[in-house]
Amino acid sequence: MKLKQVNTAFIITIGVSVVVFVYLVFLGYDEIKTLKDVIKIIASILFPIPMLFFVRFLLIEHFLPKNTDEYKRKNQKPAILLLIVTMIISVGSMQLIEYFTQQKLEDHLIFAHLINSTTISSYVLNYILYNNLKVNGILSGVLLSLAIHVFFITS
Amino acid sequence: MNPIIDSPKPRTNSNKRELLFTFQSIIVTGLLAFTAIAFFFYFDLTIVKGIKIIFAPFLSVVPLLFILSILRDLRKGFKEGNYTKDEIIRFCLITVGITIAFTGITFLLAKIEALEILLAAIMAILSAVFFLRSKIKDILGMSIITGIAEGIIVYMIFLF
Repeated sequence: MKLKQVNTAFIITIGVSVVVFVYLVFLGYDEIKTLKDVIKIIASILFPIPMLFFVRFLLIEHFLPKNTDEYKRKNQKPAILLLIVTMIISVGSMQLIEYFTQQKLEDHLIFAHLINSTTISSYVLNYILYNNLKVNGILSGVLLSLAIHVFFITS
Repeated sequence: MNPIIDSPKPRTNSNKRELLFTFQSIIVTGLLAFTAIAFFFYFDLTIVKGIKIIFAPFLSVVPLLFILSILRDLRKGFKEGNYTKDEIIRFCLITVGITIAFTGITFLLAKIEALEILLAAIMAILSAVFFLRSKIKDILGMSIITGIAEGIIVYMIFLF
């Protein structure tokens, strides 16, 4: 059971990356103009995968805590706090960067892809292998803030 | 408590590490092929001398096969247990160093104007990867291969 989880983790990680890639390519279709853009987007999607393999190679032992009620109760509050704090910090810093450089995130799709694929990959990996609730909070915060930024704040 | 989770593991950690190492080398091979194709189409490379392109792979593949046949395994193989904090920090630094080095090497590859030289260079890197894959079965090999992969990707994202 455990071994199966380990093996499916990477397949799911890669699968999610591919799905996100296809989705984003359709989403930003009119912004892809040259072959260069395509290469850059593929590279930014692939970016987290070797790193994940390396991390997994180092941390081969399971840190999978028993998913008990006690563990959840103990980590609920820090996880929620981290989620909110990360969300505020990420949205704020993205606003600041846009304000200072006078550029929109939408004009630099590569960075959006990079943040997105890295966070999603580590999210899936953490969820399946390590099940660390605090890390879950941070990663959820980053993803949520990216979504909020793209969806609500920039018009 | 939970009989399914606590069942004995049929595979050991070193086996899993070896599998990850193999995956990583497959990824690097794919990335190198991707680099060659991308450069080929983007820079409109021309074949200057047809005969050279046939012999380009031999330049590095023949020495590789020779070395592989005469050399014994350099490392003992993958470790079963955990790595210490010092080792992790050291090999992460090595990975970062190789990443920076390979960003530079990919930058140099982009400057090559003839297809046969590009092919020879890529084959040389590929041979080095296969050498690491088959002889240095260790965390050192893993960190070097990860560095190569990340270096190529970093170049593609930020400099290309």
